[in-house]
Amino acid sequence: MHLFFQELLNGLVVGSIYALVALGLALIYGTMGVPNFAHGHLYMLGAYVAFAGVTIAHIGYWPSMLAAIVVLALVGVLLERLVFRPLRNAPEVNTIIAAVGVLFFLQQFAQLLFGGDYRVFPTPYDKVVHFGGLVATQQQLIVIVAAAVLMIILFWFLKRTLTGATIEAVAQNRAGAALVGIDTDRVSMMVFAISAGLAAAAATLIASINLISPSMGFSVILKAFAIIVLGGMGSVPGAILGAFILAFAESFGGTYISTSYQDAIAFAVLVIILTVRPTGLFAKGT
Amino acid sequence: MLEVRGLRVRYGTSSPALDGVDLTVAPGECVTLLGANGSGKSSLFSALSGLLRFDGDVRFEGDDVGKLRPAAIVARGIAQCPEGRKLFPELSVEKNLRLGAYVGRRDRRGTDEALERVCTLFPDVRDKLRAPAGALSGGQQQMVAIGRALMARPKLLLLDEPSLGLAPRMVQAMLDAVAAINRAGTMVLLAEQNAYAALSIAHRGYVLANGKVVLEGSASTLQQNELVKKAFIGA
Ligand SMILES: Nc1ncnc2c1ncn2[C@@H]1O[C@H](COP(=O)(O)OP(=O)(O)OP(=O)(O)O)[C@@H](O)[C@H]1O
Ligand SMILES: [Mg+2]
Repeated sequence: MHLFFQELLNGLVVGSIYALVALGLALIYGTMGVPNFAHGHLYMLGAYVAFAGVTIAHIGYWPSMLAAIVVLALVGVLLERLVFRPLRNAPEVNTIIAAVGVLFFLQQFAQLLFGGDYRVFPTPYDKVVHFGGLVATQQQLIVIVAAAVLMIILFWFLKRTLTGATIEAVAQNRAGAALVGIDTDRVSMMVFAISAGLAAAAATLIASINLISPSMGFSVILKAFAIIVLGGMGSVPGAILGAFILAFAESFGGTYISTSYQDAIAFAVLVIILTVRPTGLFAKGT
Repeated sequence: MLEVRGLRVRYGTSSPALDGVDLTVAPGECVTLLGANGSGKSSLFSALSGLLRFDGDVRFEGDDVGKLRPAAIVARGIAQCPEGRKLFPELSVEKNLRLGAYVGRRDRRGTDEALERVCTLFPDVRDKLRAPAGALSGGQQQMVAIGRALMARPKLLLLDEPSLGLAPRMVQAMLDAVAAINRAGTMVLLAEQNAYAALSIAHRGYVLANGKVVLEGSASTLQQNELVKKAFIGA
């Protein structure tokens, strides 16, 4: 039973991170139809900005996370403005090639600045917490709570504010949104900023549990795409549910079946769900 | 007053979709734009709303509005209820309507009043405020789409084939509502293929064919016109 709860905890931690990353990817795909293959590398860059904040600028953990969010939000805006907007009416393959180009650019950039080695991200929250025989690190609990808080804020923003409604409006009918006077270009930049900011937060939260490296974006982007396919391309609730399904499949599959096939088991679960529901869990309405 | 002079639109390298259109809508008028499929009605509306590049001159209340962005055009008082409605299907009817008032969002009281007026004009809409717009019937969605354009409190309302896909009874209700909007002082430019319906409420009309105005006149003249009868009324 202990093992079960330990894996539940792991699933929650990893699922929270997947959710934050996949959410951003789903938001961009949903509002702009852009499959942003560079998203995992924005996540990576976020980890390095926070790493620099903690180890070079010595501004502390939370200020470093805030810095990573702000810097990545700006990078997101620049990406939209300089790379994806000019390609809005181009064939989708051009957008994909551009995104892959950005991905390699970011990786080289990080490698140049920080070297290609794996780095340990120091956390002040490395103590172990015991409750009723179960153990968790403070950092694990912080991941779960912080991710939940960020998702609640995002939902509140999307559902309860007029600015948030403009994002949903653009996602559901871009021409209709332009006709009521919504600046669709501004919404696109805002979505890229939110998406990259969430990725930076996720990366900073998990960085001290995993290691960081310039190539850490690859496995994340693969999983995030699997998640949004599972969730129904572009669906925000679908991305969250898909994230936890994948994370639990990984952690329980790794424990009860085999650790070496952890990823294969997780993807097998995705394939099975997609066989039953080919459009994903929350197919976007017509 | 809307004054359009020599408006030209060309998609890619094909022959122009609009080829020098002249048209006016005077204060208080309801003007219809009749034209078969592909004659250029929606292209004209897209140009007027700032969604499409064009050559030519568009003046509204004396100002050149031809190069303005869509938001600025709505702010000047030109709102469009587009072909195919272009609602936000998963958002509630109320959110759809409130987004219609997006350019006037700082005036909360004005927005609430506009919402109340739309609900009075379309009682069915009031009952559905909480439902997702995509869950309404076609006729109800058309009312929401017109309502959303009205939420901007426009001086000129552009309506692109609002009768499309509506049952005859719904068409009549929609026409009554448009006539009421016009009587309350809003200029209306109504694109239609249903000439019989459109001419029943319009003061004047234009007939568009292959991107050119081929006929214009008062509603009663157009109703008597052989070409209009043959092409649009099926008499
Ligand atoms: N996005 C586009 N790209 C290329 N050509 C277009 C585009 N939109 C319209 N056209 C062409 O422009 C011409 C006018 O089309 P438009 O949609 O304005 O006509 P319409 O009068 O609104 O027709 P309908 O009654 O079918 O809505 C047509 O020949 C059409 O094929
Ligand atoms: Mg049309």
